[in-house]
Amino acid sequence: MTISEDPLSADNRDNMFRSLLLCTHGTAGARMAEHLVFARLCAASPGLRVTVLTIIDRDWQDMTGDDWLNSSRTHAAFLDHVQQQVQEENEHEWQRIRNAYPAAATAVFVGVVGSIEETMAGQARQRGCDLIVIGPHRRSRRLFNLEMSPGLRARTDTLLLHRILPCPLLVAPLQEGVA
Amino acid sequence: MAQTQDNKPLFIISGLMILYAVIASSGILHPLMKYLHTAKTADLQVTMGFIAGGIGILGALVNSVRKPGTTIIDRFVLQPLPGILLILLMAMAIRWYVEPVVKLISHSLQPVLGFKIYKVLNLNYVILGLLAGVILTNTYGIPKFAQAGVKCARFVLKMGVIMLGARYSFAELAKLGTYSIFLVGFFVLGTVFFVLWLGGIFRQPKTMTGVLSAGMGVCGVSATVAVAPVVKAKSEEMAYTIGTILSFGIICMFVFPTIGHLAGMNAVQFGAWAGTGILNSAQVAAAALAFNAVDIKTLKVAEIFNITRVLFLPIIVLVLATWFGKESGKKLTFKEVVIDKFPIFILGFLLLFAMSSMGLFSPPTHYKGKFIDFSYNERSQVTEKEWETLKAALETGAIKGLTPEQMEAVRDLVAQRQIAGNYEDRNDKKLFYHQGEQRMFQLESILAAAKAKTVEIPKDVKAAIKHAVKQVHKKSKTVTTLTDCMIWFFAFGLIGLGMQITKKAIMQAGGWPLVIGVISGTTKAVLSFVVVLWLVKDVVLK
Repeated sequence: MTISEDPLSADNRDNMFRSLLLCTHGTAGARMAEHLVFARLCAASPGLRVTVLTIIDRDWQDMTGDDWLNSSRTHAAFLDHVQQQVQEENEHEWQRIRNAYPAAATAVFVGVVGSIEETMAGQARQRGCDLIVIGPHRRSRRLFNLEMSPGLRARTDTLLLHRILPCPLLVAPLQEGVA
Repeated sequence: MAQTQDNKPLFIISGLMILYAVIASSGILHPLMKYLHTAKTADLQVTMGFIAGGIGILGALVNSVRKPGTTIIDRFVLQPLPGILLILLMAMAIRWYVEPVVKLISHSLQPVLGFKIYKVLNLNYVILGLLAGVILTNTYGIPKFAQAGVKCARFVLKMGVIMLGARYSFAELAKLGTYSIFLVGFFVLGTVFFVLWLGGIFRQPKTMTGVLSAGMGVCGVSATVAVAPVVKAKSEEMAYTIGTILSFGIICMFVFPTIGHLAGMNAVQFGAWAGTGILNSAQVAAAALAFNAVDIKTLKVAEIFNITRVLFLPIIVLVLATWFGKESGKKLTFKEVVIDKFPIFILGFLLLFAMSSMGLFSPPTHYKGKFIDFSYNERSQVTEKEWETLKAALETGAIKGLTPEQMEAVRDLVAQRQIAGNYEDRNDKKLFYHQGEQRMFQLESILAAAKAKTVEIPKDVKAAIKHAVKQVHKKSKTVTTLTDCMIWFFAFGLIGLGMQITKKAIMQAGGWPLVIGVISGTTKAVLSFVVVLWLVKDVVLK
């Protein structure tokens, strides 16, 4: 990859990022990242390969809490149901993205079970991505907001992520009206 | 070499246990133990240290010389051993050091605070153990080597409940069972329908209210886990519901024992209330032991209520499955809904109860696990001071509101200075024993009535009667050992379960599930409190 003197030139924009990993799970913050990628970056760089990653949080396994009454069969049935349910919800989310952004038609959509930070870094490495895009940090109003947010409430541990990042990380800016 | 490296934690924990046992057996720690009031358990500390440490070293050596496999011994003994020993080490440290230190600190802070922290927060070894588990998992995390062992906590807790089966009599089980079927039946079904109704009022999806109603009504997270696949709950509905139930349950676990003490509840009342009002069944056991960890009366009552409501789980699953089956058009089999959800360990509980009732653990004279000795001897008498107190109370008429039978039992206690049959009938062993038993029953009913505040008797008179009852109880060694093991099983199990309560799971609480959960959970707790105080008064436990 050759980079000319002007970092903002069209040539540079085309060459700087070829493959991008967009991490989303449908929350308001993640939708800002979706908007940034499909409405702006893809428009600026039409050749950009986008992989949409939805992580199925490994911590679902801990959601059985202090349940000690159920048999291992009931636990397994619960975890199977969670996985099936999350996959269905992911499919629904991906369809929403495809419907909202024409540029998403060529994107690859993947759902992976694992811890958030390790899965992000691992998938970026495995797929040869040169940029990871995530949504901005938003204050959780879970206790005071009556409407439910999708999936598990989870925060990205940025310190842990920074240590294992294989490529630059782009955090989408907070934008009113996008989510 | 690699295997020896993997065994390092097991070698270290086992070595620490053996080292502690050696130091404790040398007597160096005796002054410290005396200061902490744990000197009576010195022999047990040494024995447990040597046995657990020895097993650990043996396991580590076996692991070092053979390849890890997937045999039953590998899966159920060798792999979980480091975790089991870690939890056991924590339980020992908490029971013999942390709890006494917390008590000492509470005592020393009493002049400043005006109350004892450990009493207000019920910080006994059970609660401290559970808290230690929660703190460890949410800070450092469960060490990798201990993860297989931590999973054993569920099994160990079930073993504790199974062993508890040996401590019931037919009469207790019948009486408590009747109470629990009515109370639990009313509150389980009532809460389930109340949550479904609230869900309708607040226009919430049926899948969410279905999963929340089972959790709030039956047995917390366990019910949620069992019902979620049946009602096809969405991921966020499960997350919000579990977070709500876990956080509400943890608050109840701390609040219930304090309110129980403040309201002057007796063991039966508190056990019934905790068994009905607290959501998660592990938290019921913890609250019962927090209320009273010295004897197991509260635990016995709470567990009967716990078991009753667990037995309601398949029924609730069936009701919800029928409801949702109709809506979704999917038919679920009886096996899927009921048989797979039946808690099999309850069969073990009933087996132990049957074995105990047949006298397998103690001779027939060891009535309900405790040998009652009404024979005349000094060990069975009340003290001189207690006798004087009782005599003076009778003469001055300080004891009021007793039935004629209760008053007669007190008069006989003063006359004979101990609980016994009639002196003239002493040669007719059967009659003599029966008379003694009747008097003991009357005295125990006085204590229960005093606790429920339905009779008014002076504090020192109550203490004297209590001591008189205690004096004739001679515990069977088999049952004492069984009970001690069971208490350790509960302590172990609750530390392990504490390790499975993550901050992340609790933080899922919020939204409509939290609103509906708080309304229904508080209603259930308050109503069951009133009903228990009103109805449950006079069950005399042995």
